Amino acid sequence: MKAKSKIAQPSIENEFLPPFLQNLKEKNEGLNVPLGYFNSLSPRIVDRINKQKSRSFFTILMPVFRNPLVLVPVIATVILAIVLIFSIQTKNNQTVLVDDEITELNMAYDASYAEEALLAEAHIIDNELESANIGYLESVVLTKENEPSDEEITEYLIGQEIDPEILN
Amino acid sequence: MPEYTDNELIELFRTADRKHFAFNLLARKYQEKVYYFIRRMVIDHDDADDVVQNVFIKVWNNLDSFREESKFFTWLYRIAVNESLSFLKNKRLRSFLTLSSPEALMVKSLNSESCFDGEEIQKKLKIAILGLPKKQQLVFNMRYYDVLSYEEMSEILGTSVGALKASYHFAVKKIEQSVIAN
Repeated sequence: MKAKSKIAQPSIENEFLPPFLQNLKEKNEGLNVPLGYFNSLSPRIVDRINKQKSRSFFTILMPVFRNPLVLVPVIATVILAIVLIFSIQTKNNQTVLVDDEITELNMAYDASYAEEALLAEAHIIDNELESANIGYLESVVLTKENEPSDEEITEYLIGQEIDPEILN
Repeated sequence: MPEYTDNELIELFRTADRKHFAFNLLARKYQEKVYYFIRRMVIDHDDADDVVQNVFIKVWNNLDSFREESKFFTWLYRIAVNESLSFLKNKRLRSFLTLSSPEALMVKSLNSESCFDGEEIQKKLKIAILGLPKKQQLVFNMRYYDVLSYEEMSEILGTSVGALKASYHFAVKKIEQSVIAN
């Protein structure tokens, strides 16, 4: 069952209206409305008003952000912030790669880095040995009084089962 | 229950403990008039329901700042006019996606039995009104259906009485031609 609208009473002011418009004023308008609609309308409005009161801060701000004058600077700021965050993170990551020994070690096990890492390691060992040798020679030169005697050398060679004659 | 005037209800609305009571009475007093005014503009019941709720929410939000320089009734109508036009504007924007005009959708609604079950001549009248410019639709509906005086319409629409009379005259002529042609 549908409720139907009633057209209001004619105005006091007389105006010319075509006959069909005059006749239609006396009849139902024909727009259907669900039964009981007007009884439930004001409670639903009050319900919406109560919900509106408890709206979140974000929901209240949404219409503000729809304004292009607000939206454009906000988007620009967000993009700038993201770019800054990523650029700082990239810099930090580069520092970690240089300082991180584990990462270097992992790189050494990587087939593509293995040869380079081994060469670098060999170079470091060579340098260490070289510097150690120089130190030894220098110490030999500087501590001549500790130089082994001929008897000590002969005794060492005999101990190693080498003919002492090779010294002559 | 005692009969309250609009001004008495507005006074009650401004007292914290009677706010809901006064608003309920105001809503019940005007909801039907406002609904049909909006329904004639948007045709579809669900659309009219949304708009009428928005109108009364605006009334709730702004009634505290309402000055009694104009009648509550004309202030309420002004909100209803603005909300209806705003709704139709948004509907027109949305209809770009569906490639069908809001007027075509409204005529489609009129052809469904759930929306309209009047005589054929009534339907022709509705379709003829939908063919008018929006301002003429407002003027015609206010004058023909709601029987508002030109002075009240002038206060609601912010247009001179002379311009409103002319607008109504042209609207009637166009409707007559449209109905005869169809």
